[in-house]
Amino acid sequence: MQMNIVKDGKIPPLWHYGHEEHDVIGAKTFGFWLYMLSDALLFAGLFAAYGVLDHTMNAAGGPTESQVVHPIAATWQTFAVLSSVFAYSLATVALKRGNRAGVVLGMLAAIGLGVVFLGLELADFASLFHAGATPFTSGFLSAFFVLIASHGLHMVFGLLWMLVMLVQVLRFGFSTAVVAQLLNLRLFWQFQASVWVCVYVFVYLKGTI
Amino acid sequence: MATHQPDPVLHPEVQQASFTGYTVGFVLSLALLMAALLITEQHALPPLKLLGAISALAMVALFAQCFLFFGLNIALHNIWKSVSLVLTVPLFILTIGLTVWMFHELDSLTMLPGASVMPGMNMQPTLLQ
Repeated sequence: MQMNIVKDGKIPPLWHYGHEEHDVIGAKTFGFWLYMLSDALLFAGLFAAYGVLDHTMNAAGGPTESQVVHPIAATWQTFAVLSSVFAYSLATVALKRGNRAGVVLGMLAAIGLGVVFLGLELADFASLFHAGATPFTSGFLSAFFVLIASHGLHMVFGLLWMLVMLVQVLRFGFSTAVVAQLLNLRLFWQFQASVWVCVYVFVYLKGTI
Repeated sequence: MATHQPDPVLHPEVQQASFTGYTVGFVLSLALLMAALLITEQHALPPLKLLGAISALAMVALFAQCFLFFGLNIALHNIWKSVSLVLTVPLFILTIGLTVWMFHELDSLTMLPGASVMPGMNMQPTLLQ
Protein backbone atom coordinates (compact mmCIF):
# COMPACT_ATOMS: atom_id res chain seq x y z
CA MET A 1 0.00 0.00 0.00
CA GLN A 2 1.29 3.45 -0.88
CA MET A 3 2.29 5.71 2.00
CA ASN A 4 0.85 9.10 2.83
CA ILE A 5 -2.61 8.19 1.66
CA VAL A 6 -5.32 9.71 3.77
CA LYS A 7 -7.63 6.93 4.80
CA ASP A 8 -10.56 7.40 7.14
CA GLY A 9 -9.07 10.79 8.07
CA LYS A 10 -5.91 9.15 9.44
CA ILE A 11 -2.42 9.68 8.02
CA PRO A 12 -0.31 6.53 8.33
CA PRO A 13 3.27 6.87 9.62
CA LEU A 14 5.87 8.12 7.14
CA TRP A 15 7.71 4.82 7.22
CA HIS A 16 7.54 1.66 9.16
CA TYR A 17 8.73 -1.88 8.71
CA GLY A 18 6.91 -3.69 5.95
CA HIS A 19 6.16 -0.61 3.84
CA GLU A 20 8.73 -1.13 1.08
CA GLU A 21 6.91 0.76 -1.66
CA HIS A 22 7.71 4.45 -1.70
CA ASP A 23 5.44 7.42 -2.31
CA VAL A 24 5.87 7.92 -6.09
CA ILE A 25 3.89 11.18 -6.28
CA GLY A 26 5.53 12.63 -3.15
CA ALA A 27 9.04 11.78 -4.45
CA LYS A 28 8.31 13.42 -7.81
CA THR A 29 6.86 16.62 -6.34
CA PHE A 30 9.69 16.93 -3.79
CA GLY A 31 12.29 16.49 -6.52
CA PHE A 32 10.55 19.14 -8.60
CA TRP A 33 10.29 21.44 -5.58
CA LEU A 34 14.09 21.26 -5.17
CA TYR A 35 14.42 22.14 -8.87
CA MET A 36 12.13 25.15 -8.30
CA LEU A 37 14.33 26.32 -5.42
CA SER A 38 17.39 26.18 -7.68
CA ASP A 39 15.40 28.05 -10.32
CA ALA A 40 14.59 30.65 -7.65
CA LEU A 41 18.34 31.02 -7.05
CA LEU A 42 18.77 31.71 -10.77
CA PHE A 43 16.31 34.59 -10.35
CA ALA A 44 18.16 35.71 -7.20
CA GLY A 45 21.29 36.04 -9.38
CA LEU A 46 19.37 38.02 -12.00
CA PHE A 47 17.85 40.32 -9.36
CA ALA A 48 21.31 40.82 -7.83
CA ALA A 49 22.68 41.82 -11.26
CA TYR A 50 19.71 44.12 -11.83
CA GLY A 51 20.13 45.67 -8.36
CA VAL A 52 23.68 46.64 -9.36
CA LEU A 53 23.08 47.64 -12.97
CA ASP A 54 20.00 49.82 -12.43
CA HIS A 55 22.33 52.63 -11.30
CA THR A 56 22.23 55.68 -13.62
CA MET A 57 25.94 55.14 -14.28
CA ASN A 58 25.11 51.90 -16.12
CA ALA A 59 22.57 53.50 -18.44
CA ALA A 60 25.59 54.57 -20.57
CA GLY A 61 23.84 57.74 -21.68
CA GLY A 62 20.76 55.75 -22.77
CA PRO A 63 17.34 55.56 -21.11
CA THR A 64 17.30 55.12 -17.34
CA GLU A 65 15.10 52.91 -15.19
CA SER A 66 12.35 55.49 -14.71
CA GLN A 67 12.15 55.97 -18.50
CA VAL A 68 11.60 52.31 -19.41
CA VAL A 69 9.26 51.02 -16.68
CA HIS A 70 5.53 51.66 -16.82
CA PRO A 71 3.85 50.49 -13.58
CA ILE A 72 0.28 50.93 -14.82
CA ALA A 73 0.96 48.85 -17.97
CA ALA A 74 2.67 46.24 -15.80
CA THR A 75 -0.41 46.16 -13.56
CA TRP A 76 -2.41 44.61 -16.42
CA GLN A 77 0.30 41.93 -16.65
CA THR A 78 -0.06 41.45 -12.88
CA PHE A 79 -3.80 40.84 -13.28
CA ALA A 80 -3.18 38.42 -16.16
CA VAL A 81 -0.48 36.31 -14.48
CA LEU A 82 -2.22 36.12 -11.08
CA SER A 83 -5.55 35.23 -12.75
CA SER A 84 -3.83 32.55 -14.81
CA VAL A 85 -2.25 31.04 -11.69
CA PHE A 86 -5.63 31.22 -9.92
CA ALA A 87 -7.33 29.46 -12.87
CA TYR A 88 -4.78 26.63 -12.84
CA SER A 89 -5.06 26.36 -9.06
CA LEU A 90 -8.83 25.95 -9.46
CA ALA A 91 -8.14 23.24 -12.04
CA THR A 92 -6.35 21.31 -9.27
CA VAL A 93 -9.37 21.81 -6.99
CA ALA A 94 -11.36 20.06 -9.75
CA LEU A 95 -8.64 17.37 -9.81
CA LYS A 96 -9.21 16.81 -6.10
CA ARG A 97 -12.83 15.95 -6.96
CA GLY A 98 -11.80 13.78 -9.92
CA ASN A 99 -13.58 16.22 -12.26
CA ARG A 100 -11.88 15.90 -15.66
CA ALA A 101 -13.98 18.63 -17.34
CA GLY A 102 -13.13 21.04 -14.51
CA VAL A 103 -9.41 20.36 -14.90
CA VAL A 104 -9.57 20.91 -18.66
CA LEU A 105 -11.59 24.14 -18.29
CA GLY A 106 -9.24 25.50 -15.62
CA MET A 107 -6.21 24.75 -17.79
CA LEU A 108 -7.81 26.38 -20.86
CA ALA A 109 -8.52 29.53 -18.83
CA ALA A 110 -4.96 29.50 -17.46
CA ILE A 111 -3.57 29.14 -20.99
CA GLY A 112 -5.72 32.02 -22.30
CA LEU A 113 -4.67 34.35 -19.47
CA GLY A 114 -1.03 33.29 -19.85
CA VAL A 115 -1.17 34.17 -23.54
CA VAL A 116 -2.63 37.60 -22.62
CA PHE A 117 0.29 38.13 -20.22
CA LEU A 118 2.86 37.24 -22.88
CA GLY A 119 1.08 39.44 -25.45
CA LEU A 120 1.29 42.43 -23.10
CA GLU A 121 4.96 41.72 -22.41
CA LEU A 122 5.83 41.43 -26.11
CA ALA A 123 3.94 44.68 -26.84
CA ASP A 124 5.97 46.41 -24.10
CA PHE A 125 9.22 45.03 -25.55
CA ALA A 126 8.20 46.13 -29.06
CA SER A 127 7.52 49.70 -27.92
CA LEU A 128 10.86 49.83 -26.08
CA PHE A 129 12.70 48.48 -29.13
CA HIS A 130 10.89 51.03 -31.30
CA ALA A 131 12.13 53.79 -28.98
CA GLY A 132 15.69 52.50 -29.39
CA ALA A 133 15.91 50.81 -25.98
CA THR A 134 17.39 47.38 -26.78
CA PRO A 135 19.43 44.91 -24.68
CA PHE A 136 22.54 46.20 -26.49
CA THR A 137 22.02 49.85 -25.50
CA SER A 138 23.48 49.62 -22.01
CA GLY A 139 24.40 47.33 -19.15
CA PHE A 140 21.23 48.43 -17.40
CA LEU A 141 19.01 47.48 -20.35
CA SER A 142 20.84 44.13 -20.75
CA ALA A 143 19.97 43.30 -17.13
CA PHE A 144 16.41 44.61 -17.54
CA PHE A 145 15.62 42.57 -20.65
CA VAL A 146 17.33 39.40 -19.37
CA LEU A 147 15.40 39.51 -16.09
CA ILE A 148 12.00 40.20 -17.66
CA ALA A 149 12.55 37.80 -20.57
CA SER A 150 13.69 35.01 -18.22
CA HIS A 151 10.35 35.20 -16.45
CA GLY A 152 8.57 35.42 -19.82
CA LEU A 153 10.43 32.34 -21.07
CA HIS A 154 9.31 30.43 -17.97
CA MET A 155 5.75 31.44 -18.86
CA VAL A 156 6.20 30.13 -22.43
CA PHE A 157 7.45 26.75 -21.19
CA GLY A 158 4.65 26.63 -18.61
CA LEU A 159 2.08 27.15 -21.37
CA LEU A 160 3.67 24.43 -23.53
CA TRP A 161 3.66 22.09 -20.54
CA MET A 162 -0.02 22.90 -19.96
CA LEU A 163 -0.86 22.03 -23.58
CA VAL A 164 0.91 18.68 -23.16
CA MET A 165 -0.98 18.03 -19.91
CA LEU A 166 -4.29 18.85 -21.61
CA VAL A 167 -3.66 16.05 -24.08
CA GLN A 168 -2.48 13.66 -21.35
CA VAL A 169 -5.50 14.32 -19.12
CA LEU A 170 -7.88 13.72 -22.03
CA ARG A 171 -6.01 10.63 -23.20
CA PHE A 172 -4.88 8.90 -20.00
CA GLY A 173 -7.16 10.36 -17.32
CA PHE A 174 -5.87 10.75 -13.75
CA SER A 175 -3.14 8.09 -13.70
CA THR A 176 -0.34 8.33 -11.12
CA ALA A 177 2.06 9.79 -13.70
CA VAL A 178 -0.45 12.37 -14.94
CA VAL A 179 -1.45 13.43 -11.42
CA ALA A 180 2.22 13.86 -10.42
CA GLN A 181 2.81 16.03 -13.50
CA LEU A 182 -0.29 18.12 -12.79
CA LEU A 183 1.00 18.76 -9.24
CA ASN A 184 4.46 19.69 -10.53
CA LEU A 185 2.92 22.03 -13.08
CA ARG A 186 0.93 23.67 -10.26
CA LEU A 187 4.22 24.28 -8.39
CA PHE A 188 5.81 25.67 -11.56
CA TRP A 189 2.89 27.94 -12.41
CA GLN A 190 2.41 29.27 -8.86
CA PHE A 191 6.15 29.94 -8.76
CA GLN A 192 5.71 32.30 -11.74
CA ALA A 193 3.27 34.36 -9.64
CA SER A 194 5.86 34.62 -6.85
CA VAL A 195 8.60 35.71 -9.27
CA TRP A 196 6.22 38.26 -10.80
CA VAL A 197 5.56 39.78 -7.33
CA CYS A 198 9.32 40.48 -7.14
CA VAL A 199 9.53 41.71 -10.75
CA TYR A 200 6.53 44.03 -10.34
CA VAL A 201 7.68 45.53 -7.04
CA PHE A 202 11.47 45.62 -7.49
CA VAL A 203 11.56 46.53 -11.18
CA TYR A 204 8.34 48.30 -12.18
CA LEU A 205 7.43 50.05 -8.91
CA LYS A 206 10.97 50.69 -7.59
CA GLY A 207 11.86 52.15 -10.99
CA THR A 208 9.52 55.08 -10.48
CA ILE A 209 10.64 55.95 -6.93
CA MET B 1 4.69 -5.39 -3.71
CA ALA B 2 1.29 -3.94 -3.22
CA THR B 3 -1.54 -5.92 -4.65
CA HIS B 4 -3.48 -2.85 -5.78
CA GLN B 5 -2.67 0.66 -6.95
CA PRO B 6 -4.26 3.33 -4.74
CA ASP B 7 -6.21 6.10 -6.46
CA PRO B 8 -3.67 8.91 -7.06
CA VAL B 9 -6.44 11.51 -6.63
CA LEU B 10 -6.53 10.54 -2.93
CA HIS B 11 -2.89 11.58 -2.48
CA PRO B 12 -2.61 14.24 0.26
CA GLU B 13 -0.92 16.71 -2.12
CA VAL B 14 -3.95 16.47 -4.42
CA GLN B 15 -6.33 16.70 -1.50
CA GLN B 16 -4.59 19.80 -0.09
CA ALA B 17 -6.03 21.88 -2.99
CA SER B 18 -8.40 24.40 -1.47
CA PHE B 19 -10.84 26.69 -3.28
CA THR B 20 -10.96 29.03 -0.27
CA GLY B 21 -7.18 29.05 0.18
CA TYR B 22 -6.51 29.80 -3.50
CA THR B 23 -9.19 32.52 -3.60
CA VAL B 24 -7.80 34.22 -0.50
CA GLY B 25 -4.24 33.88 -1.89
CA PHE B 26 -5.27 35.43 -5.22
CA VAL B 27 -7.23 38.33 -3.68
CA LEU B 28 -4.56 39.00 -1.04
CA SER B 29 -1.73 39.02 -3.62
CA LEU B 30 -3.65 41.44 -5.83
CA ALA B 31 -4.65 43.68 -2.90
CA LEU B 32 -1.08 43.90 -1.59
CA LEU B 33 0.36 44.69 -5.02
CA MET B 34 -2.33 47.31 -5.68
CA ALA B 35 -1.55 48.89 -2.29
CA ALA B 36 2.12 48.99 -3.31
CA LEU B 37 1.15 50.59 -6.65
CA LEU B 38 -1.03 53.19 -4.91
CA ILE B 39 1.60 54.40 -2.43
CA THR B 40 4.24 54.43 -5.21
CA GLU B 41 2.09 56.44 -7.63
CA GLN B 42 1.14 58.93 -4.92
CA HIS B 43 4.72 59.12 -3.57
CA ALA B 44 3.12 58.79 -0.17
CA LEU B 45 6.47 58.44 1.62
CA PRO B 46 10.06 59.66 1.20
CA PRO B 47 11.97 57.45 -1.34
CA LEU B 48 13.82 55.22 1.13
CA LYS B 49 10.76 54.65 3.32
CA LEU B 50 8.66 54.04 0.21
CA LEU B 51 11.13 51.37 -0.93
CA GLY B 52 10.93 49.79 2.54
CA ALA B 53 7.12 49.86 2.48
CA ILE B 54 6.71 48.27 -0.98
CA SER B 55 9.39 45.66 -0.10
CA ALA B 56 7.42 44.79 3.04
CA LEU B 57 4.20 44.47 1.01
CA ALA B 58 6.02 42.17 -1.47
CA MET B 59 7.31 40.01 1.39
CA VAL B 60 3.81 39.67 2.87
CA ALA B 61 2.49 38.68 -0.60
CA LEU B 62 5.26 36.05 -0.94
CA PHE B 63 4.52 34.69 2.55
CA ALA B 64 0.82 34.49 1.72
CA GLN B 65 1.62 32.60 -1.49
CA CYS B 66 3.86 30.15 0.39
CA PHE B 67 1.00 29.19 2.70
CA LEU B 68 -2.04 29.66 0.48
CA PHE B 69 -0.69 28.68 -2.99
CA PHE B 70 2.16 26.26 -2.27
CA GLY B 71 0.35 24.97 0.83
CA LEU B 72 3.57 24.86 2.84
CA ASN B 73 3.15 23.66 6.40
CA ILE B 74 4.63 21.11 8.76
CA ALA B 75 2.31 18.27 7.76
CA LEU B 76 4.03 14.95 7.12
CA HIS B 77 3.91 15.21 3.31
CA ASN B 78 5.02 18.87 3.24
CA ILE B 79 7.58 19.36 5.97
CA TRP B 80 10.65 18.76 3.80
CA LYS B 81 9.42 21.31 1.27
CA SER B 82 9.10 23.84 4.09
CA VAL B 83 12.52 22.93 5.54
CA SER B 84 14.28 23.12 2.15
CA LEU B 85 12.73 26.57 1.52
CA VAL B 86 13.80 27.82 4.95
CA LEU B 87 17.34 26.58 4.26
CA THR B 88 17.35 28.30 0.85
CA VAL B 89 16.19 31.72 2.12
CA PRO B 90 19.67 32.61 3.53
CA LEU B 91 21.08 31.85 0.06
CA PHE B 92 18.70 34.42 -1.47
CA ILE B 93 19.76 36.99 1.13
CA LEU B 94 23.46 36.27 0.56
CA THR B 95 23.16 36.32 -3.23
CA ILE B 96 21.16 39.53 -3.57
CA GLY B 97 22.09 41.40 -0.39
CA LEU B 98 25.84 40.88 -0.51
CA THR B 99 26.09 41.55 -4.25
CA VAL B 100 24.23 44.85 -3.97
CA TRP B 101 26.21 45.80 -0.83
CA MET B 102 29.57 45.01 -2.49
CA PHE B 103 28.81 47.11 -5.55
CA HIS B 104 27.37 49.90 -3.41
CA GLU B 105 30.72 50.02 -1.57
CA LEU B 106 32.58 49.87 -4.86
CA ASP B 107 30.49 52.74 -6.20
CA SER B 108 31.04 54.96 -3.18
CA LEU B 109 34.78 54.22 -3.03
CA THR B 110 35.84 54.27 -6.67
CA MET B 111 33.29 56.02 -8.87
CA LEU B 112 34.20 59.52 -9.88
CA PRO B 113 31.93 62.34 -8.73
CA GLY B 114 29.77 63.71 -11.53
CA ALA B 115 30.42 60.71 -13.80
CA SER B 116 26.94 59.34 -13.19
CA VAL B 117 25.35 62.59 -14.34
CA MET B 118 27.24 63.01 -17.60
CA PRO B 119 29.15 59.91 -18.62
CA GLY B 120 32.52 60.76 -20.12
CA MET B 121 32.20 64.41 -19.13
CA ASN B 122 32.99 66.42 -16.06
CA MET B 123 35.67 63.91 -14.99
CA GLN B 124 38.08 64.84 -12.23
CA PRO B 125 41.73 64.66 -13.39
CA THR B 126 43.53 61.51 -12.33
CA LEU B 127 46.95 61.48 -10.70
CA LEU B 128 48.56 60.74 -14.08
CA GLN B 129 47.26 63.91 -15.70
